[in-house]
Order: sequence, then C-alpha cells, then structure tokens
Amino acid sequence: MQGTVFSIEEFSVYDGPGIRTTVFLKGCPLRCTWCHNPEGQEPNPQIVKSPNGCTGCNRCLESAEKVDGRWHYTEESIKNCPMGLLRVSGETVESQGLCERLLKNQGLLQGVTFSGGEPLLQSDFLFACLKTLKGKLHTAIQTCGYCEEAVFREAVSLADYFLFDLKLIREELHRKFTGVSNEKILRNFAYLAKYAKNFVVRIPLIPGVTDTQENILGIIAVLKANEVSYVELLPYNKMAGGKYQMLGRAYCPGFDEQRQVMIPETLLKEHQIRYLVL
Amino acid sequence: MTKNVELLLRQLKDKSYRSLRTMEKEEPILYPVDYFGFHIGTNERLPSGGSGNLTPAYDRVIRMGFDGLRQELQRAIACTESYEEKAYGRKLMETLDHGVAVCDAYRERVRTNSRLYEALGRVPRKGATSFYEACLTIIICIYLLRTSRGTHLGLGRFDQYMYPYYLADKARGVTEEELFETLEAFFISLNFDSDLYTGVQQGDNGQSMVLGGFDMDGNSVYNELSDLCMDASLELNLIDPKINLRVGKKTPIEMYVKATYLTKKGLGFPQYCNDDVVVPGLIKLGYDPEDAQNYVVAACWEYIIPGRGADVVNRGPMNFPLVINRVIKEKLNSCSNFEELMTWVEQGIKQECDRIIESYRDRKRMDIPLLSALMDGCTKRLRPMREGGVKYINFGCHGTGIANATDALAAVKLCVFDQKRICPQQLLEALEADFEGFQEIRNLLRSCPKMGNNDPMADEIACRIMDCFSKNMNNRPNGQYGHWRAGTGSAMEYLWSAAKCGATADGRKAGTPYSSSFSPSMDVKPTGLLSVIQSFTKYDMTEIINGGPLTLEIHDSVLRNDIGVEKTAMLVKLFIDRGGHQLQLNSINRERLIDAQENPEKYPNLIVRVWGWSGYFNELDKAYQDHIINRLAYQE
Repeated sequence: MQGTVFSIEEFSVYDGPGIRTTVFLKGCPLRCTWCHNPEGQEPNPQIVKSPNGCTGCNRCLESAEKVDGRWHYTEESIKNCPMGLLRVSGETVESQGLCERLLKNQGLLQGVTFSGGEPLLQSDFLFACLKTLKGKLHTAIQTCGYCEEAVFREAVSLADYFLFDLKLIREELHRKFTGVSNEKILRNFAYLAKYAKNFVVRIPLIPGVTDTQENILGIIAVLKANEVSYVELLPYNKMAGGKYQMLGRAYCPGFDEQRQVMIPETLLKEHQIRYLVL
Repeated sequence: MTKNVELLLRQLKDKSYRSLRTMEKEEPILYPVDYFGFHIGTNERLPSGGSGNLTPAYDRVIRMGFDGLRQELQRAIACTESYEEKAYGRKLMETLDHGVAVCDAYRERVRTNSRLYEALGRVPRKGATSFYEACLTIIICIYLLRTSRGTHLGLGRFDQYMYPYYLADKARGVTEEELFETLEAFFISLNFDSDLYTGVQQGDNGQSMVLGGFDMDGNSVYNELSDLCMDASLELNLIDPKINLRVGKKTPIEMYVKATYLTKKGLGFPQYCNDDVVVPGLIKLGYDPEDAQNYVVAACWEYIIPGRGADVVNRGPMNFPLVINRVIKEKLNSCSNFEELMTWVEQGIKQECDRIIESYRDRKRMDIPLLSALMDGCTKRLRPMREGGVKYINFGCHGTGIANATDALAAVKLCVFDQKRICPQQLLEALEADFEGFQEIRNLLRSCPKMGNNDPMADEIACRIMDCFSKNMNNRPNGQYGHWRAGTGSAMEYLWSAAKCGATADGRKAGTPYSSSFSPSMDVKPTGLLSVIQSFTKYDMTEIINGGPLTLEIHDSVLRNDIGVEKTAMLVKLFIDRGGHQLQLNSINRERLIDAQENPEKYPNLIVRVWGWSGYFNELDKAYQDHIINRLAYQE
C-alpha cells in the first residue's frame, strides 16, 4: 500500500507521550487560514523552493513549465539550481518501507505519531501502517477529525492514542476559517470520547478567531457533553506564515496576526477543565 | 539570590567598574562586598603563548598550603644527589615564596576588607580551614598562574575536593545559605577578569568545572555540593565556570532533567561525559584505574587527570578531509573498486599519523615553575611537569572533519563505484574546479548517504576511519615521557583545518568549515536526532578517547516547557546509555542570532557555545558567529 509523506520528524516533542517520531501525511480536507504546514494541504508531491539564498539567476525557470499563467518547476529545475534550493515535498512510500524506517529507531522510541495534512485522508495507507506497527510501537493519530464515520471508527480501533483538534464550534465560522462544516468532526469527536483507548483534545488558539469567549464556551460545552476534562492549548505562532513563500503562495490568514492570543485560563478553571499550554 | 550576590553581579555587568583597573595601579582593586579580590590590575589582555590546558592539583594545594608544598620540596631536595634536581627544587620553592610574598603584600593593602584580610593570614601559606578559605586558595592560584602565563586552567572536580570543607563548615554551624552565597561569589569571581585571559576567542579560557561521576565501586559521588553548583549556575546565568556533568548508565533521569534546565538557559552547558566509556578508554591508554576514575576535562573536553596529567591534549590535528582528498587525487583513477580506495585511505591516515608524531617529537612546551609546583609530582620528583615531573605526559591528537571525510567517501563509493554515475576523472575535475560548472555533480554528491543519518554504509566508513586513526595513533611513544591518544575533537580546527582543504567529495566547497568536533557535516539535511544518536554511537568510543563531543543544537522552542525539557533529558540519557562518550547540547534560536549579528546592542548578554566553551556572541569574530548560525538546528 502506497502513501504520500511530506516529512518525518524524529524526536517530535509535542505530538504525544514519550520520545516519538512524527510522520506527516500529505493532503488535507481542511484549509485552515492559519495552517503552518501548507505543503501538507495538496495530496500530491509538489516542488517547493526555499526562498533563502536565492540569487535570482532564474536557472530554475529555464526548465519550468507555465500552466495557467503560473510557473511549475520540473525535475530539471531541481538539478539546475546552483544553490540546491529546490526539492520535492512529498515522497511516495510503501507502508512496509515506511514502517521499516520507523522501526530502525525502535530501541530509542516510545511511539510514532501520524500527523499531516490530515492522516485520515490516506486512511488505507495509514491503517496498513498501524497494522504493521501493532505490538512494536505505540501509535498515535493527530487529526482534525474530518472523515467518514466508518473510517474514524476503524482508526479508533487501530491506534493507541489520538490528538484531536477542536477549533471552532459555530458552524458558519468553521466553514469560513477552515473551508468545511464541523458536523462530521463533532460527530467523530463524540465517538472518540466514548470509545478511544486514550486521547487528548487540542485547541489551536487563533487570535480573535478561536480564542473568543463565545468559542471557548462552545468548546467547553462540547467537552462537558462528552465528559472530557483536560485540554491542551496551542497558542498561535507568528511564524505560521513562514512556509507559504516556499510554495509561491501568499499567507492571508484573515485575522489580525499581531493581536495578543487570549489564553482562556479563567473560563477553563471556572468549568473545572484542566489545561496545559504548549 | 542574596543582596550581596546581587550587588556583585551588578558590578560584574556594569563594565564601568572595570575602569578601576587603570585607576590606582599601586592599590589592589576591591569591588564593594568583594569576597575574593585578586583582580588583574590592567585593562590589557594577558600575554599569549603560555602553557596550561590542564587542572592543577587543587585538592593538594588547598589541603597542604604553599608551606606544605615547600616542605615536600625540602624533603625531596635533601634526598636527591642530582644538582639539577636540587636547583629545580629551589626554583619551585622560590616561586612558591614569591606567591606568598605577593599575597602578604596584598593582605596589607586590603585591611578594609576584614574577611579577606583575616583569611589571608592563613592561606595560601597554610591549608584551608573553611570552605571560603578553600575557594580563596583557588582564586589566588588562578591569579598567580594567569599572571605567570598559565592559560586554560580547569577547575577539576570541585564538588569532590571541596566537599570536606563544605561539610566541616556545616558541622560548625555555617548555614547552607551562607555557603551558597560564598559559592556564588566564587562563581562570579571567575568571571571578573576573564575578558583579559588569552584564548583563541574571548570565552575560550578553560574554566571548566566537573561535577558528579562515579567511584571505583560504581557508586554515584554526585553530592549536595554538586547540586548547589548546578543551582548556582542556574541562578547566575554566567559563562564561567562551564559545567561538565559526569554521567553513566546509573545516572537517574531526574539529574538529566535538572541539567536540561541548565541547557535551557542557553549557556551552552552542561556538557556530558560518560564514565562508562571514558574510564575504560583511559585505562586502555595506560592510565591507572584510580586515576582514570578521577578524570576531568582539561579545558574544553579533552580528558585529563587532575594534578597528575600534564598531557598536551591538542596536538595535531589529523585533518581527515585533507588526507582523503590527497588519496582521491592520487589513487582514484587507478582503483577498480571502493575497497582498493579504502586501503589507500587507511594507508594515508597511517602516514599522516606518522608525520604528526614525527613533527612533534622534539617540540617542547615552556615550563611555568609555579604551575609545576601546583601539580602532583613535580615537588617530589624535582622536575618540570612536562619533563617527567608528573605521572602522565601524553599527547592528544584531534580528529578533525570526521563527518566530512566520511560523507566524501560514502559519496565516492555510491556515485563512482556502486552506481557509476560519476566517472573518476569527472569527480577529480569537479573537485579541482571547486564545483564551478559541475553543479549537477555537486547536487548528486550532496544527496548521498551521510554520517548522522543512521545509514549503515556511511557509518561503517566512519567506524573504519576512526579505527584506523586510533590504531595508528594510540599508545605510540611521543618521544617525551608519554604516548599519543586519538580523539574526536576539532577545537578551532573546524575553521583552521577546513580553510586549508579544497573542495571535498561530499559536495563541500573549498575552504568552507567542517562541523565542530564529532558532529554531522554542516549542510547535511538531518534525518533527525534519533538517527544522529544512532550514527554517533556505533563506534566503540573507548578506542578514541582524547575527547571531542557530539554537538547537537536544539531549537529553543523545544525546551519551552517542562514536557520538552523532560523529553530532551530522556534523549540525553539515550545517548549516554547507548555508549556515547561526550555530548554538548545547545539551545539556540537562529533568528535571534541573526538579529544579534545585525543589532549587537540589543543582545549584550547573549551567550553561545562555540566549541568546548561558551562565550558572549557579540565578542566573537564573525567567522565563528557564522558557523554557529549555520549549524544544524533540529526542529524549527
């Protein structure tokens, strides 16, 4: 079974318990405006160019192709760059081969986390990996929760741990900032809370978007309804836009980046929700 | 932090106090609430070209006092028939007497500071009777040695030789708070004049302190005082003393966690040394087990025996990439397979070992009589320390550019022999042209397996060149009372040796720096920290134990909270438990360094680890700043 991976990070500290490697699967059904891994959005491999060190010699463009008025780099462009700034983001790998790579660090690792993009978008590949790793490494899935119910249920039966994002509760806001409805997400969350072996809820705190009192109260209501009493908070990082230039894209988050992130300590305490700021 | 410590720190940071140095030359400088005095009364850097890079026998000096050393000398002079030895013994006596005279004169001028005045009534003449006097003895030794051209003086196992004084003070009713204040004042004192010390760069002063470790029975000797030293370092945020932690398989995770909080401070230490590897390694090199068990780092990371070792730990270096370039140039065209080339490489390394050994056979280091007098041996044998005065006078050879050399050979193996994608002549031309016009070849070379990516092929090459180096270097006579020992350090040679080396087959351009000491090459895209740890623990490091750490840069965001600190501590433990010999872990933030290069005034206190030492970023030459900025950082 083949899948597309855009990064493998050894010793990823904030993606689950213990010393872990995180595998980033390419492709995501959401388009969160604050996404800091934009190369994880498109499902297919794509050529990216690091903006730092470019001398503007344009040798990369000599072998590029123009499609719909935009330049697309080719394999030749990668070879021609004198600074070695171009590379393919996204490697097509066999699940077996990927697992062998991960198991090379078995003695040092507590577990592996599959992140993305959205790992459940490549569910067949993901499940093949989880089955291979079963009994050898602790496995975790970092997910936005957006997928069909049947897929999610199988994931819950296979993975040891989930890191589940709750972003926005009001449906129209969820559509506005992520591009999709949150209906499936909330449904899957209810399933997770009931049946998963172990999981943690994560809230990205986006200034003026997810950190509002209304949204946090909404999230608290969802947590209460599902008897969840602990969350991890991920305050917005102003470096989030850093990778867009590499893709030839502009970063338009649609909110005021400079605004101070509100850490909803008082609200969470009031409702007896324990939390940790990451 | 007490009021006194706060005041001392303020004076240290307030450079205007340093104007005292030139004010009244005849009077000693004493800062308000000064504990130890003995400041250098000049604004000029001390003259270079001295001798040192070792740790005096502070335990003996503190216990015996200069009088005790003098008596030992008298006995030895009486016992020997040799005119030369008698003369040298008298010379050592004179230098000790001179030291005492300096202190007596100094004492007369510091009557206003009653603590100092009173203590100087005993030390350095007599053995210390308190923790404070013991600290003062060290400060006096450092002052006298520094002004006699002694350089890079390590502090050794401070937590061990000071522990009896600490305990005795406590038993006498001195409170832990008072002792901690004395300790902090001592730490601060080490920073006052370090800008005047000679070194390759400011900060390169060798004031390393070694804490913890194990005894002969394998029991931990990390004690209350070790812990207070860690606390003082955490609280003070100063570059001196540079903390080295001796660890091993039995070291509990809690100690690593505490040490990682120190790493988080961004001072570039502690550095970790693995007793399970260093002690057996030194024994293989002929050190007696009880001496090996007592090892320290000389100044940066070179292993040495305090008091008994006058090893010259940084001879050489073995410039691996240069050797390999020479072999490739001369032999690649005639080799029909990689194994043949490796045979030539091994011969090249051997010849270079021979050349290095021969070239240092007759080179002597100047003797500093006071330094010899403060070592353990010269006062009995009546000989200069490096002419048979002490027990160990071995030479250490740095192995520089191991990763670049490995990567170059791995690329040749893959591209030239296995896949035949580059023909030998093409490679030679590309190297000769420094890759100008050979971009495709360069990119291909750069995409090959690298040391640090846990690639079996590359790692095997690394093991072979290290093995060849150590077999042809270790235990060979140095012609001067000792033997040679191979190591994995580079010191400043990551720039100096690299400047002499043309383009290498790993895709590195001519003259560009190697990685520092024992680390992945500079422009290698890392598979990750776990792979690096696996690669760098494959070789049996007991075979190559002159010192030279794996250096890892972790982005400071990893350490932003307790989870990151604990996991980083687990990572260090993994490295040690797998047989890594030495680790330097730095918390860095590249964006901040780049900003500091452009706006130095914004970062007066930014500290970075350079090679075996930490310095203020603003005080480094740009080449060293650039190297730090360009080092690999994991997780950004």
